[in-house]
Amino acid sequence: MYLKKQFDTEMKKQTQKINTSGKVGMWQLFWTFFKTGLFTFGGGQAMISILEEELVAKKKWITTQDMLDMLVIAESTPGVIAVNSATSIGYRMRGVWGAIIATIGVVLPSFVIITALSFFLRWFSGNVWYKAAFAGIQACVTILVVNAFVKMFRQLERGWFSAIILAASFNVALLTDFNVIYLILIGGVLGIVYTLIADAVAKNKNKRLPLESFEAQDDSSSQEDDSEKRQRGNGGGEQ
Amino acid sequence: MIYLTLFWEYFKIGLFTIGGGYAMLPFVTQIVTKHNWMSEQQLIEFIGIAESTPGPFAINLATFVGNVVGSGTSLGVFGGILGSLVATVAVVLPSLIIIIVVTLAFEKFKRNKFVQGALKGIRPVVVGLILSSVLTVAFKVILPDFSFKNLTGSGFDKFNWVSMILIFVFAALSQIRIKGKKIHPIYLILSSAVVGVVVFGVFGIAQ
Repeated sequence: MYLKKQFDTEMKKQTQKINTSGKVGMWQLFWTFFKTGLFTFGGGQAMISILEEELVAKKKWITTQDMLDMLVIAESTPGVIAVNSATSIGYRMRGVWGAIIATIGVVLPSFVIITALSFFLRWFSGNVWYKAAFAGIQACVTILVVNAFVKMFRQLERGWFSAIILAASFNVALLTDFNVIYLILIGGVLGIVYTLIADAVAKNKNKRLPLESFEAQDDSSSQEDDSEKRQRGNGGGEQ
Repeated sequence: MIYLTLFWEYFKIGLFTIGGGYAMLPFVTQIVTKHNWMSEQQLIEFIGIAESTPGPFAINLATFVGNVVGSGTSLGVFGGILGSLVATVAVVLPSLIIIIVVTLAFEKFKRNKFVQGALKGIRPVVVGLILSSVLTVAFKVILPDFSFKNLTGSGFDKFNWVSMILIFVFAALSQIRIKGKKIHPIYLILSSAVVGVVVFGVFGIAQ
């Protein structure tokens, strides 16, 4: 029973395919990130849920795994994470201009709203109705961050290594003011060390079957799988 | 030229702060007081508004600061808009360039053994960071006075049970499927604003 469940989720991961038909329109890129910028509140972690829905579920531009890797880039580079995510995805979609358009898209709502607000700041900062609405939004944002966590957590490789690093990073970030960049650097170094050791151990274990060839085989077979599915999807018109 | 100073200061902030918008806050406070652009009280008020208005927090704050600085010039309203533009562009520009380079390199070296290894370690770090913000956000909503970095007893005095119930309501709503599809997060946010107005505004339940 459990195995079947696991098998199903594995299948789901594999079938999560991206829409490679044609280029993404600049206008579409702009509009997607404009919407995302408009509904981002605070630090931008709720934004992950919106981006997931827009880019992975609806438009199929990227996979959830790509989302996680994009977040890795956004977290480990300077700047605002919400903006960094937009730049990174925009670049992947349409190159340098795509990056610029997506960045303008995610920043523009802030710019317009704050500029407009500056004319009636006094009225706004004491407004009871807005405060009430925002209290509701905050409750919703909490759940969006939870959902973002669950989605990203599912993309992680299972095992003690991921579990320990996750727990350590969570505790340090929550309880101390330790700079995030050091956490990322330490995680990266540990990841490399872990991979090298795991490789060496595997090589020692089955000397007759080197790991590289094994991996390469595995890779190509999964690619075949993918293309097969894509063909089937196109031919059968599953949607 | 005050716009150049504004650009330079915000460019430096955009270039050197890693860890997102909130990591920028101490630097913003520093430059604002250094150049006497506004009082600390004014900045604190802005921070409150920047958190509760749509858009990433740091961009909102940059637009605010730019607006105040620019409004002080002889250009008046246009000066304010120009100031906002200068500060926002300045804070975004460094990461725009860096991200393009990093994404390019990432796409190229994604299959590299060392990059793969590093990713294996960094992915859980990033997921851990998201988990820590889950708790930070949740506690900010339910126990507004509580702080994880200052674990003393007084944080538990204010308990916002209404918000806690709302969190469970939205948790349920976010899992509902209509015709096999979950509700779009944007609609969830819009509905939560309405619910907030009704619950906290119309019925005036204490926050």
